[in-house]
Amino acid sequence: MDALVQLSNVTKRYDNGGPAAVDDVSLTIAAGEAVAVMGPSGSGKSTLLNLIGGLDRPTSGAVTVAGQRIDQLGETGTARFRRTQVGMIFQFFNLLEDLTVLDNAMLPAQLGGMRRPKARARAGELLAALGIERHANAYPARLSGGERQRVAIARALVNRPALLLADEPTGALDTATGDQIGRLLLDLNASGQTLVLVTHDPALAARYAHRTVRLTDGAVASDETRPSARDAAAGVGR
Amino acid sequence: MSAGGPLALAGPVGRVAGGGLTRRRLQTIVIGLVLLVSCAASVLALGLVVESESPFDHAFAAQHGADVTAVVNPGRASHDQLAATAHLAGVTAAAGPFSQVTTSAEAPAPAQFGGGMAQLPAITLAGRASPGGPVDQLVLQSGHWATAPGQVVLATGQSGPQIGLPLGAHITLNGLPGKPTLTVVGTANSVTGSADGWVVPAEIGRLSSPSTPVSEQMLYRFASASTLTALHADAAELTRALPARAVAGTQNYLAARDSETSNAAPFVPFLVAFGVLGLVMSVLITANVVSGAVVAGYRRIGVLKSIGFTPGQVVAAYTGQVLVSAIVGCLAGVVLGNILAMPVLAQTANVYQVGALHVPVWVDVMVPLVMCCLVAIAAVLPALRAGRLSAVQAIATGRAPRTGRGYGAHRLLGRLPLPRPATIGLAAPFARPARTVMTMTAIGLGATAVTLAVGLTSSLNDVVQGLSHANAEPVQIQLPGGGPGPGITEVPQDCPPGAVVTTPKGSHVCGAGGPQPSAAAAQRAVQTALAAQPGTAHYVAEANQQVSIVGLTQPVSVTAFRGDATWTGYDLISGRWYSGPGQVVVGSRFLAVTGSRVGDTVTLEVNGKQVPVKIVGQAFNTRDNGLTMLTDWPTLARAEPGLAPDTYDVGLQSGTSATAYASSLQNKLGSHYFVAINDAHSDVLDVMLALIGTLTLLLAIVAGLGVLNTVVLNTRERVHDLGVFKVIGMTPRQTTAMAVCWVAGVGLIAGVIAVPVGIAMHRAVLPAMASAAGTGLPPSYLTVYHGVELGALALAGVAIAIAGALLPASWAAAIRTGAALRAE
Repeated sequence: MDALVQLSNVTKRYDNGGPAAVDDVSLTIAAGEAVAVMGPSGSGKSTLLNLIGGLDRPTSGAVTVAGQRIDQLGETGTARFRRTQVGMIFQFFNLLEDLTVLDNAMLPAQLGGMRRPKARARAGELLAALGIERHANAYPARLSGGERQRVAIARALVNRPALLLADEPTGALDTATGDQIGRLLLDLNASGQTLVLVTHDPALAARYAHRTVRLTDGAVASDETRPSARDAAAGVGR
Repeated sequence: MSAGGPLALAGPVGRVAGGGLTRRRLQTIVIGLVLLVSCAASVLALGLVVESESPFDHAFAAQHGADVTAVVNPGRASHDQLAATAHLAGVTAAAGPFSQVTTSAEAPAPAQFGGGMAQLPAITLAGRASPGGPVDQLVLQSGHWATAPGQVVLATGQSGPQIGLPLGAHITLNGLPGKPTLTVVGTANSVTGSADGWVVPAEIGRLSSPSTPVSEQMLYRFASASTLTALHADAAELTRALPARAVAGTQNYLAARDSETSNAAPFVPFLVAFGVLGLVMSVLITANVVSGAVVAGYRRIGVLKSIGFTPGQVVAAYTGQVLVSAIVGCLAGVVLGNILAMPVLAQTANVYQVGALHVPVWVDVMVPLVMCCLVAIAAVLPALRAGRLSAVQAIATGRAPRTGRGYGAHRLLGRLPLPRPATIGLAAPFARPARTVMTMTAIGLGATAVTLAVGLTSSLNDVVQGLSHANAEPVQIQLPGGGPGPGITEVPQDCPPGAVVTTPKGSHVCGAGGPQPSAAAAQRAVQTALAAQPGTAHYVAEANQQVSIVGLTQPVSVTAFRGDATWTGYDLISGRWYSGPGQVVVGSRFLAVTGSRVGDTVTLEVNGKQVPVKIVGQAFNTRDNGLTMLTDWPTLARAEPGLAPDTYDVGLQSGTSATAYASSLQNKLGSHYFVAINDAHSDVLDVMLALIGTLTLLLAIVAGLGVLNTVVLNTRERVHDLGVFKVIGMTPRQTTAMAVCWVAGVGLIAGVIAVPVGIAMHRAVLPAMASAAGTGLPPSYLTVYHGVELGALALAGVAIAIAGALLPASWAAAIRTGAALRAE
């Protein structure tokens, strides 16, 4: 498989001379992979995700996503990169409370210059696929946690990004709802969406990703790949 | 809480206040800046309004002006006798005797009048060793006091030489043997105009001659001097105290005060208008900024309460926090206001013809006090509210605008075919309606000031043109023995035989080169010269006479035109121009004094003959305080058969240089005639425009600071949303546009509303100014706003909004995405 994400000796320090939040990490993620990034609090999981998503710049090293050196882009460049190549979902959803569900989902498309009717159609399609089209004109405050996360997923996918980054996507949800979201992510990955998932829950990682990268003190402690249930059934990886 | 008493309690409160100051540096700076500019604008505006109320009285008191100036014949009263008058009952102070002489003089004419030498009016020079003294303290306005013979300090204001001589210029006293010269080393103001210039005492001996005898000047202040009757009694007592016929004449201060009042009065209405605008804006924006700062700290207040701060401590901490930056801003604002006021007040003093104007001390004290009280109130009210909330409520309230506000606006505006960041920004003000209304009001007031300033500037220019007639008749020719025509301010009053007048062609002695031409010959000469002079478009002869009006004790100036004078530039306030004999056009004051109206008939009395005339129009004409009348030649000639013109008014063809034309014509006509250029320059206009510009700029800055504060508060409240926007791909430019749109829509609405408000203010202020000056206004002076201009003025609000928003909008765009997302 082609490498979609490549980190080469990436280090991130927030203070000069202070400890590295990410310490000399080299990592490759192929297109279509589902990768869980795990580790205790302060291990650098979210920092790593931010670096891959272009929300932050490494102190040293190179970050390449979809063939583009995103560590060399300016603010405008990284914004455009995120708009087209990356979809992000968060533990606390990060929806805009004064926009409707549909407006939230459409927004990245409109920021990219897509006309309202086309963006509306695309967002509507995603909301329907995620089973929340009936809430299109509702405001996020009226939705349950699971429904809000689905809105966030719709928003993340509206521009058909190559990469979906999820930072503790089920952390604010109850177990049953979390399972639903997890299966959703699994289905997305099964349809070819590359997924990088940050979690501290080993069960979640095992269930929804076939590769787990463990970080300790900013460095990669282990990188294990398991065959997915489907692959195991198909004899892949033997 | 510890048992250490108030000091111990003050410790945590002080630490919280100090922490707020340093942690929220931007907010601290914004509060300080708003107070600085608001205080400066308030000090300037209030200082000007106060000083304009009665500048003469203020200056008279400050300069110990002379109630009575007496000119004494030194041959009839000794120095001791004069000195003894200082101890008369009723005299509270006296100065003098100062020796003085009166003589004719000439000085270099300004270049725009062709250079050469110009004859000055008779000049009275007094010998004074210094500008100070118990009475009539002179205010030095440029240069230095005379310290040696050959130096002169000229008077500014009403009695000053009208030619505006620069320092270093030389005056030739051509009425004295030997024609001594004096060098101008300074200018000074005497509030009552006690002399035209001052020299060292020893100089007076050199300047005296049989034709210019020395007299003595005594200056007095009396215990009872507030009415004309009292002043006459004071002068009579003085005369009785000195030997018979020692007092040659006396002058009291009331004439000087009357002249100042007519100069100062027009200022007051527009100063009040700008002053009120400035004060209201300052109050509004200060309250908005300060209360917004406290409301923005609700979450912090909630945290403080959760760790044990009492409501009283919360109020003290936040009020103290904003007061520190407010006090610093106010003090700096008072200094800035006084600095800004200095040049403006100096110019204003010149126009008011008083020595000096200062911002009163009580204004410097009252403005910052009031502003700080306002700040305290604006801080205490929201802090009290927060103090009463529970910790949890305060934290929740401080997080974001109330849920539900502005949602409809987002839906509606989201449908507009505009870039999405713009529609999101335009909808944002609906989430904070109170803040939006205050911001809109502040922008609206700033835009109103701009609209008013533009209108006043156009109208005042019309006023100056209307008074000077510089466009219609840029050149006037004064015939031999004639008086000055309207609009001419640089005409020598006479050309005494033997006086030297130098023109570009050389020097001539008045009357030399032949006898003065007869009236008929002079007219022929002028008409021939005008017909032959390239650039002449048209001309008309005029005669100026003082006539009596039946029923009126004061004389009226009548100008009679021989020929078509409709082009001479008199703008009509009402009625029409005269169309035949027996019709007149009058000034506003004429109507007021006679109690007549357009359409009424009044009777002129000339040479014992009564001539009834019908008033057909009212013209904008303030010559002789508006007690004027314009008519045609036959109307006046009926009672004055020997009527002869004294002035020719000349209109030029387009593209003709008035200066070159006048110079050429002067050369052809010779020294018996004076060719003058109508000067549209006005000191009064310069001062007014400077004031308008300064006050408008300050108000626009205050409005802009209010906008800046609003965008900063919005950014802080929405920092998490900004993070979300950036995560999903909003570029810095889109973020900036969105933040600008937070206030641009508000600015547009405010600006559109401001236009009719500003026009209404203009329609109220300008007539009030004219009324204070004792005249009406032609309707055209009020209709100065036109299509394209109105459209541009409607955008003034947007311009103020964008100017105030750009900087904090760029800060919003630069916020780190990760940090923004983590913000609550």
